[in-house]
Amino acid sequence: MKAILHVIEYDFRNFFRYRFFIAALIAMNLADLFISAVVFTQMTSLVNYFRFFAPGLTVVGLFASAFMIGREINMEVRREIHHYLLSLPMTRTELAVGRVLAGGLRGMLYMTPLLITNFIVLRFPTLPQLSLILLTLLLLAIGISGVSISIAVSTTSFEKFVTARGVVYYMLFFCSSVFYPLSIIQILATKGLGPLVTFAQINPLTNGSDLIRSFLLDASSGYVFSPLMLLNVAVFSVIFAFLALFAYSKILQRH
Amino acid sequence: MFIQYKFLLILRGIWFVAQVALFGLVVNKMVQGAADAVGINYFNYYVAGVTIITLYSTAMFIGYDIFEEAEHGVFEYLLTLPVSRRELVLGRSIGGGLRSFVYVGPLLVVVLFILGVSNPLYLLIALASMFLFAFGVSGMSITIAVAMKSGDKYDILIGVLDALIVRLSTTMYPALYMQRAMPAYATIANFNPLTYAADLFRWGTGVEGALQFSPLVGVLGLFIFFFAFTFVGVVFYERRLEGGSWQ
Repeated sequence: MKAILHVIEYDFRNFFRYRFFIAALIAMNLADLFISAVVFTQMTSLVNYFRFFAPGLTVVGLFASAFMIGREINMEVRREIHHYLLSLPMTRTELAVGRVLAGGLRGMLYMTPLLITNFIVLRFPTLPQLSLILLTLLLLAIGISGVSISIAVSTTSFEKFVTARGVVYYMLFFCSSVFYPLSIIQILATKGLGPLVTFAQINPLTNGSDLIRSFLLDASSGYVFSPLMLLNVAVFSVIFAFLALFAYSKILQRH
Repeated sequence: MFIQYKFLLILRGIWFVAQVALFGLVVNKMVQGAADAVGINYFNYYVAGVTIITLYSTAMFIGYDIFEEAEHGVFEYLLTLPVSRRELVLGRSIGGGLRSFVYVGPLLVVVLFILGVSNPLYLLIALASMFLFAFGVSGMSITIAVAMKSGDKYDILIGVLDALIVRLSTTMYPALYMQRAMPAYATIANFNPLTYAADLFRWGTGVEGALQFSPLVGVLGLFIFFFAFTFVGVVFYERRLEGGSWQ
């Protein structure tokens, strides 16, 4: 356990090295909310877009920051720093668990100001609701960290990693209810894009953002909490956390 | 040098397709009423806007090249070449703009296929304005890169600038709705080169019949943008080129 904490501390120190980059990322996220979302609110009568998008933005921020761990691990692999990490007095499993958890926890840390912004502009949840939101987002962050690490150790160059990240990012975000309600995405089914609609429904980002909406938006918005949302995110998290553990501890030894 | 970024270029291509085929299609349904109210097809409006965003982001790549050159010592080599500093920066600015057009070219063909062309003369004027825009963006990228002399600071500033310059323009939404949302946003958008480029491209392809500005104002705005950044870029480049201190 102590070894895992050391790995988490190592990754947090690295995270704070990018504090200006993080500040820029927060500025971009807030620009999305306070410029784009405000204008789109004027353009659609289907939803109050500003209120709708705020929870989605939290998930966008969580994703971007939890994914940063992959960028660092990819760099370590390319510069062969992983040899040093593998020589440390800890098991490979401890090292891998530490990295996956650190990626998720960094995502939670980054997401916190965005979530607080949500509470201010939407409403404050009750304590059990807050606990459920935090649990779901933590699971989501660990899953994203797992996806990122799996890609990072499977790609040999930074460009390939960035390209793979882009494909994952665009698929997960544009086929989810982060930017627009699921009811509108369902229109795609009439254009022969049914598989994309199914993907959007099972997408953990859809379930994560809709779960926050179910607690922070009015009942009239139609978002109701379902345990299946939490289950969906949990399954995603478990699958990708284990995939990352396996990939990190096995593939690294082959390099 | 541009081709070195093949994966990033592929990524921009995927981004473009995702923006158009997913985001554009879905948001089109979401804002249909608002688009009808101002007499536009939002999907076409958005496709034209995304083309300008892609042109902007690829023209900004030149700044990363400058840091790459500084890191690998190519800068010193360039300074030994028998060309004046002025020619060097002018060439780079125009080269940066041209190569972004080379990249956007295939996408532009697809976009023109989607949007159609109502008046070839208007389209030619719009494309010429987009050249000015791309050269201006390259000049701006060089100016910022040389002023910063730090890859990290440049990356951060470009990220923030990108967030603001794109969102505070008419690339994604009409000025009327920016005005309704926050008059200050519309005021800023009126001085944004992305607004001029996007509006001119829509005018050139016939997506938007009635422009907020006369096309002449748009062309003039882009010319001032190009002129200012190319020549400010020259002055900065000349003053800050030597002496190292690149980070």
